[in-house]
Amino acid sequence: MTVAIEYYVLLSMALFCIGLFGILTRRNALMFLMSVELMLNAANINLIAFAFYHGNLTGQVFGLFVMALAAAEVAVGLGIILVLYRNFRDVDVTVPTTMRW
Amino acid sequence: MEGVFNYAPAIAVFPLVAFVVALAFGNYLPKKGAIPGIIATGGSLLLSALMLAAVASGEVYHETLYEWAIGDATSATDVTGIEFTFGILIDPLAALMLVIVSLVAFLVHVFSLGYMNAEGETGLPRYYAGLGLFTFSMLAFVYADNLLMAFMFFELVGLCSFLLIGFWFRTKSAPSAAKKAFLVTRFGDYFFLVGVVAIAATFGTLQFAGDDSFVAAAQTAIDDGTTLFGFDAQTWVTITGLLVLGGVLGKSAQFPFHTWLPDAMEGPTTVSALIHAATMVAAGVYLVARMFGYYALSPTALAIIAFVGGFTALFAATMGVVKDDIKQVLAYSTISQYGYMMLGLGVGGYVAGVFHLMNHAFFKALLFLGAGSVIVLMHHEQDMWKMGGLKEKAPVTYWTFLAGALALAGIIPFSGFWSKDEILYDAFIVGLEEPIILAAYAMGLVAVFFTGFYTFRMVFLTFHGEPRSDAAEDPHPIGWSIKAPLIVLGVLAVVAGAANLAPVYKLTGLEFTFLESWLDGEYGAIEGVTYGAYAELAHYDSGFIGTEETTVLIAAGLSLLLAFSGAGAAWKLYNVPEPVVYRDRLGRIGDVVEANYYQDEYQVWLAEGLTLPLSRAADRFDQTAIDGAVDGVSTASLFGSDRMKRLQTGIVTNYAALIVTGFIVLLLVLGYAGGWFI
Amino acid sequence: MMIEALIGVALIGALVTFLAPNRIAGKLAFAISLIPAALSLWMFATFDGSGNALLGGELAFESQAEWIQFGAYAISWFVGLDGISLPLVVLTTILVSLAIVSSWTPIDDRESQFYGLVLFIEANLIGVFVALDFFLWFIFWEAVLIPMYLLIGIWGGPRRKYAAIKFFVYTNVASLLMFGAFIALVFGLGDAVTSFALPEITAAMLDGGPDGFFGVGGTTLMSAVFVAMFIGFAVKVPVVPFHTWLPDAHVEAPTPASVLLAGILLKMGTYALLRFNFTMFPTDVIEPFVVPIAVIAVISVIYGAMLALAQTDLKRIVAYSSVSSMGYVILGLIAFTQFGVGGATFQMVSHGLISGLMFMAVGVIYNATHTRMVTDMSGMADRMPVAVGILIAGAFGYMGLPLMSGFAAEYFIFFGAFGSEFLEYAPIFTALAMFGIVVVAGYLLFAMQRAVFGPYNLETDYDVRRAPLHDVAPMFVLLGLIIALGVAPDLIFEMITDAVDPILEGGEL
Repeated sequence: MTVAIEYYVLLSMALFCIGLFGILTRRNALMFLMSVELMLNAANINLIAFAFYHGNLTGQVFGLFVMALAAAEVAVGLGIILVLYRNFRDVDVTVPTTMRW
Repeated sequence: MEGVFNYAPAIAVFPLVAFVVALAFGNYLPKKGAIPGIIATGGSLLLSALMLAAVASGEVYHETLYEWAIGDATSATDVTGIEFTFGILIDPLAALMLVIVSLVAFLVHVFSLGYMNAEGETGLPRYYAGLGLFTFSMLAFVYADNLLMAFMFFELVGLCSFLLIGFWFRTKSAPSAAKKAFLVTRFGDYFFLVGVVAIAATFGTLQFAGDDSFVAAAQTAIDDGTTLFGFDAQTWVTITGLLVLGGVLGKSAQFPFHTWLPDAMEGPTTVSALIHAATMVAAGVYLVARMFGYYALSPTALAIIAFVGGFTALFAATMGVVKDDIKQVLAYSTISQYGYMMLGLGVGGYVAGVFHLMNHAFFKALLFLGAGSVIVLMHHEQDMWKMGGLKEKAPVTYWTFLAGALALAGIIPFSGFWSKDEILYDAFIVGLEEPIILAAYAMGLVAVFFTGFYTFRMVFLTFHGEPRSDAAEDPHPIGWSIKAPLIVLGVLAVVAGAANLAPVYKLTGLEFTFLESWLDGEYGAIEGVTYGAYAELAHYDSGFIGTEETTVLIAAGLSLLLAFSGAGAAWKLYNVPEPVVYRDRLGRIGDVVEANYYQDEYQVWLAEGLTLPLSRAADRFDQTAIDGAVDGVSTASLFGSDRMKRLQTGIVTNYAALIVTGFIVLLLVLGYAGGWFI
Repeated sequence: MMIEALIGVALIGALVTFLAPNRIAGKLAFAISLIPAALSLWMFATFDGSGNALLGGELAFESQAEWIQFGAYAISWFVGLDGISLPLVVLTTILVSLAIVSSWTPIDDRESQFYGLVLFIEANLIGVFVALDFFLWFIFWEAVLIPMYLLIGIWGGPRRKYAAIKFFVYTNVASLLMFGAFIALVFGLGDAVTSFALPEITAAMLDGGPDGFFGVGGTTLMSAVFVAMFIGFAVKVPVVPFHTWLPDAHVEAPTPASVLLAGILLKMGTYALLRFNFTMFPTDVIEPFVVPIAVIAVISVIYGAMLALAQTDLKRIVAYSSVSSMGYVILGLIAFTQFGVGGATFQMVSHGLISGLMFMAVGVIYNATHTRMVTDMSGMADRMPVAVGILIAGAFGYMGLPLMSGFAAEYFIFFGAFGSEFLEYAPIFTALAMFGIVVVAGYLLFAMQRAVFGPYNLETDYDVRRAPLHDVAPMFVLLGLIIALGVAPDLIFEMITDAVDPILEGGEL
């Protein structure tokens, strides 16, 4: 017995919304990064679910790509957060606003 | 003699070469460029004389030598294609003028040896280069065979006058005078250029002579009753003729463009001689004579020429009466004399006008060179009240100057009398039928009195009486290079009148009218550009008082009487050992005349009181309104972006919120457009 | 391959000069610039084209290569010369060489970059005049702005930043308008064209024109595009009221940049007007705009001259008089006669030479005095006779003195415009525009009188010496060319009219 596609979509939606909520409410940069990961994984779930649904592997391949991308992004993101911490002694994203214009 | 015409281009090219040589190597040459100039103008004179001889033997030369630009253009008279060319036209008129110009230029060059070199001037190569270019331009203008070529060299003549009048550029006044001379004549040339363009666009040709000349085309158009540019042919010919006349009035210093000429006395006196006698000022009147056939087609234009001429003759003569500077007197006399020529041409007296042009060239060159000699004698003093008594100390200068003065005043039998009398006679007989010409004649006649007066006032103040300054007591010696040109011109001023003794012919029937038959093409001429042809075109009615003989006698008697009374008045007032200034007795009239009728004032006002503030206003408008609008756009966008950038708070959360909001709004809009909510 | 060599030498030369040490950059750049100059003169001598490049004429030195396929449209490297573009290419190469020599004295900072940029601008300018594919042309057209922006912005006067940005933004916005309009036109033509090659587009335009685009009818589209492109090019020319960037740019630009700006960059605008607006569009589209354009032309002439009269900065005077001279070009173009359009093209070349000469002469005086204000100096002729002599000669050239190229150009334009049947009230417009020759004499002589004549006096503390030979030599070359073209306009006029004739005939389709 297979799970209907709707449930995957709902799961992915829920995950995406949790991530979005995290981005909109958290001030800690690390939490930010995690939220972004959640959103990416929501997309991954969608990709893989639809790949299974359509019966081809394109979506799964994309899923792999996204994971690699997420890894790279985490590396860059953590780097940024380290620099942030070094400069501002804090990882609060509302503090470094001097770079806007 | 025909082969001689092959050398015609050299007449103009010689002085051009002299110009280049003087400019490039003048500083290394022994006389700083004078020698090449003298050789070149001498060569031109020689060749011009040969041309004259060739024309006398019945040859004429009309040849297109160089194609400047050719193109397609359909003229208003349906001539397709147009050629702008350089060509040479040597007919009796041009040959005569060539000799006059090259002779005067040659004498001026020689005179300059004494006037400029001997006085240790700096910048002599520039001076001789200017003279060379001046002569080149004028000679090329004289034998130009079409109106465009004439215009080009007419303009170059203007350039040269600028360079030479402004020769002493380290002073304040000379550059100003040079600028004024160029600007005023340029203003006239503007009309001339419009006229050239209009004639070219109308008739598709700019040739002076021959079957394909614009004169012939204009005549055909008038005969056919063609409509040109919305006017009937006659009116259009008048309009274009008057446009060209603008250039003439400017160069020949006719009212109201005469103001530059007195200021042009800032240049060296030799330059004044060249400008007044043979080149720049003569160019205007010569142009009228050159295209006389065209003016002959338009009685209105002729009448305007005559009236302006008569008015200028009187107007300038009155101003000459009150001047104290010897060169100023001569300057106003030039304006006045060219007025006579215009009067003569305007009443159809083509021969008389050209005759006076020739005589004037000789005696005015003589008077200016004489004045230059006086200035050398006086250690560069030009005020006549500081002179006096030069008669004994400088006999050559005196006697030659006197010959010129007698010619200028129109005393029989000196050359000026014959030509001026002929002009006045021609004006008189036409005036008996045409009131407006009669008015012009009357002004010309009254001017004779003033001419006699200021001429002899000048002679008496300069040469007679007691010396009134140290310089006059002990004049600077003058050399042969000054005396020789004076003597040559002095002789000419006396005898040149014999070229056309029209009154003698009319009274006695003796054939003393050499110039008339010369210009009428009895020796050789191009069909259509002869006196006879013009006389047919310009059919003025003429009236007589009694018979022709009595009319001749009345006219000549009147002008002689006035000339003598003018000279006599000067004799009475100024031929005394210690002359006094009578200027104050003139009262307010004297003020007005001395201020030159405020002509300078209103023209300066036009330039500095009207145009300059207008341009400043335009500049302010440009800076504020137009550039302000441009800067306004940039200010507005900068201001807008300053407001817009506040959206960027620098807080990542806000950006995310904006993205989400935007996404939702987009979703809703697309959903609405897609029909979800219906 | 000749054209590729021309552009290639300039580009490679730019790179080489950029990397060369400052000390030798000037001489090196001059040596390199002589190659395109010699090449273009050789092309001039062996020119065998005929007719108009856009109207099926025989192109000289043509070369074409596929480049990009952009949807249904092919973009290609398509270059060639006809009688209109060749004189401008020769003008460019000669003027660049001379401008390089004239910058030896004033430029004493970052020379290698300066001369590299000058050569880079040369490559692009040549490209503008030879390109016959719209995209290629537009790339060159825009690429000209970058080096000019840098030349003004780095080596300019005190307000250089303002001037450079104004110049860049103003002309760039205008280019955008023109670009958008032209693309709309091409799309409007639909299947009639398959590439951006200008001859093909021209043929399609004259053969019925576009059907319409984006709900706009064909005729309306053409009229709208005509106006938009006219404005786009008018900024570049510049005509009143889009001229205000010019004086600022000129005053701040270093002398050689001014020479190039007035001498060639302005001609890009008039060249483009001739190529696009007056060649591609059928006459019935142009007709309603003839009188307004003539009015603009006359206003440019008179108003520009009036503005020049009010200036006291020598460079500003020459800058405003460029506005005035360009007005003549517009008048000539709109006259739509052989002499009018041919004279306008002639005037482009002539004005390039004369304004180049004027800016060089003013630059030489500035080098010596460090001021350009006519109120600050007097009697300069006393100390710098040769330079001042040339300045005066140039000024008279500007006034249209006969036997100098300016007169030939203006006379052709006046004659062509006076008898124009295309332009209503042509004689009146012509006569009004001709009054410019009086005003131009007025302001130039006024400035001369104050600055170079009179007793010697200078408000700055610089020791005025005679200009070195390499400062005056380029001016002598220019003066020689000006006189040569004035005495023998047929040197290029024949070539120009040959290329202009098809426009006049094509316009009657």
